[in-house]
Amino acid sequence: MAVKSVQYKQHTFSISYEILNPSAHYDIIFLHGWGSHKNLMKRAFGDHLGQFRHIYIDMPGFGNSTCNMALTTEDYATILESFISMIEADKMIILGHSFGGKVATLLNPEYLVLVGSAGILVPKPFKIRAKIALFKLLKLSGLTQLRRFFVAPDAQGLSQPMYETFKSVVNEDFSEKFRAYKGKALLCFGHQDTATPMWTAYKIAELISDSKVVEFDGDHYFFLEQAATVSKEIEKTVLKSLEH
Amino acid sequence: MKLAILFGGASYEHEISIVSAITVKEKLEKRFELSFIFCDQDHKFYLIDGSKMKAITFSRGEHRKMPQIFLTNGGFEQRSMFGAKKHEMPLLNLIHGGDGEDGSIASLMDFFHIPFIGPRKEASMLSFDKHYTKWFAASLGVKTLPYEVLHKEDERVITTEYPFIVKPARLGSSIGVSIVREASELDYALDVAFEFDNVLLIEPFIAGVKEYNLAGFSARGEITYSIVEEPQKAEFLDFEKKYLDFSRSGNVAEAAVSETLVQQLRDAFKTIYSPLFEGALIRCDFFEIEGEVYLNEVNPIPGSMANYLFEDFSGSIHKLLGALPEKKAIRVNYDYIHSISQAKGK
Repeated sequence: MAVKSVQYKQHTFSISYEILNPSAHYDIIFLHGWGSHKNLMKRAFGDHLGQFRHIYIDMPGFGNSTCNMALTTEDYATILESFISMIEADKMIILGHSFGGKVATLLNPEYLVLVGSAGILVPKPFKIRAKIALFKLLKLSGLTQLRRFFVAPDAQGLSQPMYETFKSVVNEDFSEKFRAYKGKALLCFGHQDTATPMWTAYKIAELISDSKVVEFDGDHYFFLEQAATVSKEIEKTVLKSLEH
Repeated sequence: MKLAILFGGASYEHEISIVSAITVKEKLEKRFELSFIFCDQDHKFYLIDGSKMKAITFSRGEHRKMPQIFLTNGGFEQRSMFGAKKHEMPLLNLIHGGDGEDGSIASLMDFFHIPFIGPRKEASMLSFDKHYTKWFAASLGVKTLPYEVLHKEDERVITTEYPFIVKPARLGSSIGVSIVREASELDYALDVAFEFDNVLLIEPFIAGVKEYNLAGFSARGEITYSIVEEPQKAEFLDFEKKYLDFSRSGNVAEAAVSETLVQQLRDAFKTIYSPLFEGALIRCDFFEIEGEVYLNEVNPIPGSMANYLFEDFSGSIHKLLGALPEKKAIRVNYDYIHSISQAKGK
């Protein structure tokens, strides 16, 4: 592991990262999802894609990277953009899982690999909508100390700035950002995924013209067991176009 | 004879210390009545049942179900509803890295009058920081490799020629260490090392240099030396290989070296050891370059106490325990205050 400081809006972010296969010629950057960290991505992909230089990054506020201000998804992209240029990495392939997929899209790489990427709004199940309605009622009656029973699992235990960040990045419609991306995209999604269901992959595919959807058996974290297959797809897509 | 093994600690080498303690247990349990004191990352002490001395006990957090013990004058105590049970015995400090080797444990033991095997405060200070070790060795006329120091806020300009080694100044076990062969590798190597320390040491990397390790301790004015080992090396031992190294318990073959070299190594060892490291069993790692001996580093708490280098390891620990340095006790008599009060007639 390694660490580098990035300055952004008068704040210092200490970004923890790790590089595998340092002498490989082409770069692939891995961005984890909300509440996750680079080691999860490394555990999945570390032994694959041997012909690439792997760059695993903990996004600000996760893993060993620090964050003491509320950020938007655009802020994440700007911070990572300067980090990537500081380590002199190439934005050739960026693989993003879930929230990391949105950041990856904004970074505008040559090849975008979206693994169970967020960005398409999924209607909330009835249970969640009922919970929100109930809490809004409680708010009126002043019973806000019961809030902890209503906080989403993804928002539990977050620091104040990270909770603000959570509120700004969750349920963001990224349709326009996907449409603005003009590179090549590979969309790997899981059949049983409820967080970012399969239909959202096809929705993204409609927005990105040069894209391909690959369906996998599994949930939001299908890539942990199927990293080999995901890697093969990446090799197929990327190496094929490199030959041209 | 009773002996407590203290291990764990808030250190990057916490897990290595657990491995080390398990290995030393096997080596000493026939001769000693051992107890095991685990220091967790929050500096809580637990008395660990010997049968539970397995790595997974700690990774699963099962130690928290075992009795917590507290430092008290002369030892540790286990508190209960009806008073406290005292555990008094000498201690073997086996916390590698921070806490164990930075002088914290030494100070605590001294302060609470607990006899212990391990480096004392001053020895810890000088061996924990590789930069200070260089000064120390130079003051005694023991050679070390040329080096430069880089601080985190410094501009990243290195004058040492490629290839060189980048090391955090205050870490052992190869953590954060890399060999840099060309400029393109430099930035990442520095980022890796700076994750662990704000000060780095840069030394020339000499491919194929001869390395020799020698452990030893002093008891009643006489130094007991281990055999000289020529450590196995790939390029150099990375963290994972070192980790395995800490669980070594077999005996190693003595290096095939000339008597002259053995004498040179022993002389350098003795110069470094006496008297600063008294009370500790240390391992010094040396380079041999063109017939001359260079000190690479001092391990004041070597992995698994370098047991594999001693023919009679438990006998050695026994001998060292019988000769721990005494700390001069200071008696306060208030003579001065008494005499002034009397003079004032109060």
